[in-house]
Amino acid sequence: MRNLIVAFDDLGRSVLRTVEEMGSILIFFVSVMVWMFRPPLRLRLIFKQMEFVGVKSLFVVVLTGTFTGMVMALQGYYGFRMFSAESMVGSTVALGMTRELGPVLTALMVTARAGSAMAAELGTMKVTEQIDALYVMSANPIKYLIVPRVIAGVLTLPALTIVADFVGILGGYFVGVPVLGINAGAFVNNITMLVGLDDIYNGLVKAAFFGFILSLFGCYKGFTMTGGAEGVGKATTEAVVLSSISILVSDYFLTAIMF
Amino acid sequence: MSVISTEAKVGLFILIALIILGYMSFQVGEYGFGLKKGYLVKAVFDNVSGLEKDASVVIAGVEVGRVEGVSLVHGKALVLMRILPEVMLERDASVSIKTHGVLGDKYVEIVPGTVGEEYLLDGGVITNVKKQADIDQLLRDLGSISSDVMKVTSSLENVISGEEGEANLKAIMTNTRELMENLNNIVKRNDEKVSVMISNFSNASKEMERAFTSLNEIVDKINRGEGTIGQLVKDEGVFDNLDKTIASLREIAEKINEGKGSIGRLVNEEETVDNINASLKSLDTSMEGINKYITKTDQFRTFVSYRGEYLFEEDNAKSYVELKLRPREDKYYIVGVVADPRGKRSVTDRTVDGTTSRIEEWDRNELLFNAEIAKRYKDVVLRGGLLESTGGVGIDYFAFNDDLKLTFEAFDFDSERNPHLKFYAEYGIFNHIYLSAGYDDFISDEGNESPFAGFSIKFEDEDLKYLLSNVPIP
Repeated sequence: MRNLIVAFDDLGRSVLRTVEEMGSILIFFVSVMVWMFRPPLRLRLIFKQMEFVGVKSLFVVVLTGTFTGMVMALQGYYGFRMFSAESMVGSTVALGMTRELGPVLTALMVTARAGSAMAAELGTMKVTEQIDALYVMSANPIKYLIVPRVIAGVLTLPALTIVADFVGILGGYFVGVPVLGINAGAFVNNITMLVGLDDIYNGLVKAAFFGFILSLFGCYKGFTMTGGAEGVGKATTEAVVLSSISILVSDYFLTAIMF
Repeated sequence: MSVISTEAKVGLFILIALIILGYMSFQVGEYGFGLKKGYLVKAVFDNVSGLEKDASVVIAGVEVGRVEGVSLVHGKALVLMRILPEVMLERDASVSIKTHGVLGDKYVEIVPGTVGEEYLLDGGVITNVKKQADIDQLLRDLGSISSDVMKVTSSLENVISGEEGEANLKAIMTNTRELMENLNNIVKRNDEKVSVMISNFSNASKEMERAFTSLNEIVDKINRGEGTIGQLVKDEGVFDNLDKTIASLREIAEKINEGKGSIGRLVNEEETVDNINASLKSLDTSMEGINKYITKTDQFRTFVSYRGEYLFEEDNAKSYVELKLRPREDKYYIVGVVADPRGKRSVTDRTVDGTTSRIEEWDRNELLFNAEIAKRYKDVVLRGGLLESTGGVGIDYFAFNDDLKLTFEAFDFDSERNPHLKFYAEYGIFNHIYLSAGYDDFISDEGNESPFAGFSIKFEDEDLKYLLSNVPIP
């Protein structure tokens, strides 16, 4: 009997915790939105974050994009060969990259690189009471620390995604045409014929949304962490897991809405 | 070179991203938006399963447009297609749905119509819809064919298989062989008889020749006027002659009856064949002439119209009766009469005691005349000539499948007063019935300006067309 009550206890507590966390994320979101539109806009801080999130992620994104395109071309080739429709590999790679893989993989890579770093950085600041120091100096930490990161995330993710799309298609081309011997003209024609502007733009809209999610959750986990050095590690892990799951789930709904 | 600043790095990064985006949009956008221009044509299909929006529309394998949309109309599929403006489709072009390969995407194929036909305008309908080879249908047909074949083979099997069938077949073969042998014998034995028959035929043709000469004599007699219908009725002698004629005709017939035919002669004599050939040739050329004439008549169309306009200011009506002759699609002539409430204006100069006075008179009973030449360029018609008995020009603009006509006319150019300008719009509400409204003589300096509303009746006159096509056309 007692064990049963404990079980109910645990269940109720976890539900309450989840609801509480969702509520606090919402409050955090609202305060970020409020501070985002309150002057002054700290351009230097935004540029610094854009360099960190965007420029420094470029290499890993290019690498991911290229190899994703290459492997898609390879796999697509084996499938399409059965129907002697090898030239469709080009459009498959291009559509896959622009619609889904470009935005999602870029967002996941940036989450792993920058989202985790945000959580760790803010968490360490929290532990070393730097955030409290900001309050003392009457500088709002949300305005000073979080808004630049969120803005940088929203702005750089589409830019990274378009680079990933491009190098992915290039990777697909280099596997498809010289290695697998697909007709170059048919490969390119299929891409230009079947890929629409909508595909590219919707992918970029997704990317901007993912950039918002990963920077918001990364900051939230770091900003609200508790429990010393151990807590920093936990917050970082949670930030990456929560962001990744949210990106994949929201990707489904965004796709359902847009295409 | 100093260390690159953060801003420069970010700026460069964003610039690269924008360049790539621009390049990709440019590559892709060509197809995405390129076809938004162009005109729409429609076609109604029984079944368009598998045809998607943006599917290709091709002529001879070249993409000339995209499917704009598919919708349901009275249980059939209405397919809207956007065609490139430089591709003109004839009115009798045919359209069908095809498949890339066996499992590929569906697309629409258009086969151009006959050269010289009228072109389809925006919103035009292709009526010549070919049924596509539906795979389901094909399989169903194949199934029924194979079951038929199976029935035949099984009944054949019943007949042939078994010892009985084999014996029967053998019997048939022996019978056939015997039959052939007999036939051979008959032919051999009758060889002589056949040659006799042929010589008889040639004799008969000689007899026939003689018969024809006597027939000729009879015909000559008739020709020499030894009998008209009047004489036939009155003159007894004619009756005698007729009797004789009939008697000699009977003689000829008897001769023919005696078995003397002309088949041999007809076949053997080359002259006859040549004559027949020559006459066939001349028949051919005359048919060609007739054909040309008929197509010309076909193109030639005649329209008769009446238009009444009620002038609000004048409180009176103006009527037009017009005949439109259209020898070609893009060219026509208009002749007509106009009954204007003001009538016809006539000016006379009278000199009394050295001073000249000008008298302007309006004769209400006089009719005015229209005689114009018109030329159509797509939706615009330019015309000029006599308008209401004065020189003038006009321009018409057609829209909505020629249902709406916007017209501007300028005539009666006189140095002393403003020219007569008129504009109006005309819209076809039913077949042959049009409503019109506009402003007549709107810059008049004689108080003649008046808004008007009216209606007109127009129809094509088939009878006039055939009458008029007998008159040579320039």
